[in-house]
Amino acid sequence: MSKIVDREAVRQAIEKLPLFSPNALQLLQVIADPDHELDDIVKIVKFDSALTMRVLKVVNSSVYGLVKEVTSIDRALSYLGERMVVSIAVQENTGQLFNKPLEGYQGGQGDLWRHDLFSAIASREVARYAKGNFDLDLAFTGGLLHDIGKSIFATFWKDASQEALGQIEQGVVSDYLMAEQDLAGLDHTEVGYEMARHWHLPESLQAVILHHHHPAEAIESMQPLVYAVHVGDIVSMMAGCDTGSDGLKYQLDPGYEEFFNLSPTTLAEILLNSEEEFSKAEASLVS
Amino acid sequence: MSQTILGIGDYGAAKHSGGEVKTFALGSCVAAILVDPRTKAVGMVHVALPDSSINEAKARQRPGYFADLGLPLLLQEMAKLGSPANGRGLVVKLVGGASIMDHNNTFNIGKRNVLALKKHLWSYGLGPLAEDVGGNHSRTVSVFVDTGKVIVNCPGRGQWEV
Repeated sequence: MSKIVDREAVRQAIEKLPLFSPNALQLLQVIADPDHELDDIVKIVKFDSALTMRVLKVVNSSVYGLVKEVTSIDRALSYLGERMVVSIAVQENTGQLFNKPLEGYQGGQGDLWRHDLFSAIASREVARYAKGNFDLDLAFTGGLLHDIGKSIFATFWKDASQEALGQIEQGVVSDYLMAEQDLAGLDHTEVGYEMARHWHLPESLQAVILHHHHPAEAIESMQPLVYAVHVGDIVSMMAGCDTGSDGLKYQLDPGYEEFFNLSPTTLAEILLNSEEEFSKAEASLVS
Repeated sequence: MSQTILGIGDYGAAKHSGGEVKTFALGSCVAAILVDPRTKAVGMVHVALPDSSINEAKARQRPGYFADLGLPLLLQEMAKLGSPANGRGLVVKLVGGASIMDHNNTFNIGKRNVLALKKHLWSYGLGPLAEDVGGNHSRTVSVFVDTGKVIVNCPGRGQWEV
């Protein structure tokens, strides 16, 4: 029986997704601009009362153990960093997309959020080892959104996931992405890319979502960013923060060596730092 | 029945009837598991990296994170439950140490974790009786006090005994 996914049904599922709020979208566009300043973020957050309340709640959570309550957005932002504000805005605007169980991947409730949050932190850590200038927080945002396509694709994929694992074991396909393509006729990166277009996300984030498993296919100017997320995604899986049965079943593209100075030692440091920051971020975002 | 859940870098042991020591989603991390057939005590450490010299502060804060510090601490926990402090007579099993499909060795932390644990086990004159390591699948593992059984779970692959 064919397991080819009906593209029209996927398109309709994406069409039904609520749009990002204008403030959240503006926030992602500002983050994607390499010349932005922290003040640009402050201005956006200040005009969004719901986001302001969430940011203040997070910074005053017990995880950060601040003695004095923070009541201004300026202070909250300088303390949390723009990446935590992005996490809060994305969490608020994607509703249950990140939290529902990933049927096709046998991933539990919240696994996609945990994987993407860990990948975001790890992508930023990888970017710290870049050979050239790098916008660390854009790597974080790319990591946070890179696998969003799984939230829709998982529902259409559930009948084929077991066969995908069999194909990989038998060497019929080289990795999980190829199994998705072979069995379903499309994969989670394509679905994610269509979601990103539906949301009018910046082009750099669209490129990350579409190419994070094959970064060499991104246009040249986007490749450092896409490679950072490619490696961050893998570090997240190595740390056991995956989305289910596809964990670690992807190919590493050694092309990252052109952009980053990674060695067994630096990789260990990336794992260590990412795990530490992740524990804190995860706890503060659910408080 | 009571569960002791270990996070990354945690270690623990149990001896009470119905007890279980468990850790989730090992990825490239490795669980070193000890079972004392004489006292029925079981223990586990969830090791993430081979060597603590990489970060002294973290080594002080979370010693179980590293193979070189985690294993001696696990032996101490087992000794508190009546096992020999030098580990003699304990059954050792290793689980985890998965890797991504990587053609050079930079990302093979899983293999380095397994080798480091074996090296430190050898220094006590110990070695794994069984192991389920490597490959490209993340494992969840439990060890049970009543039976001494080590059970591995993996999404899409089911459950098996090591």
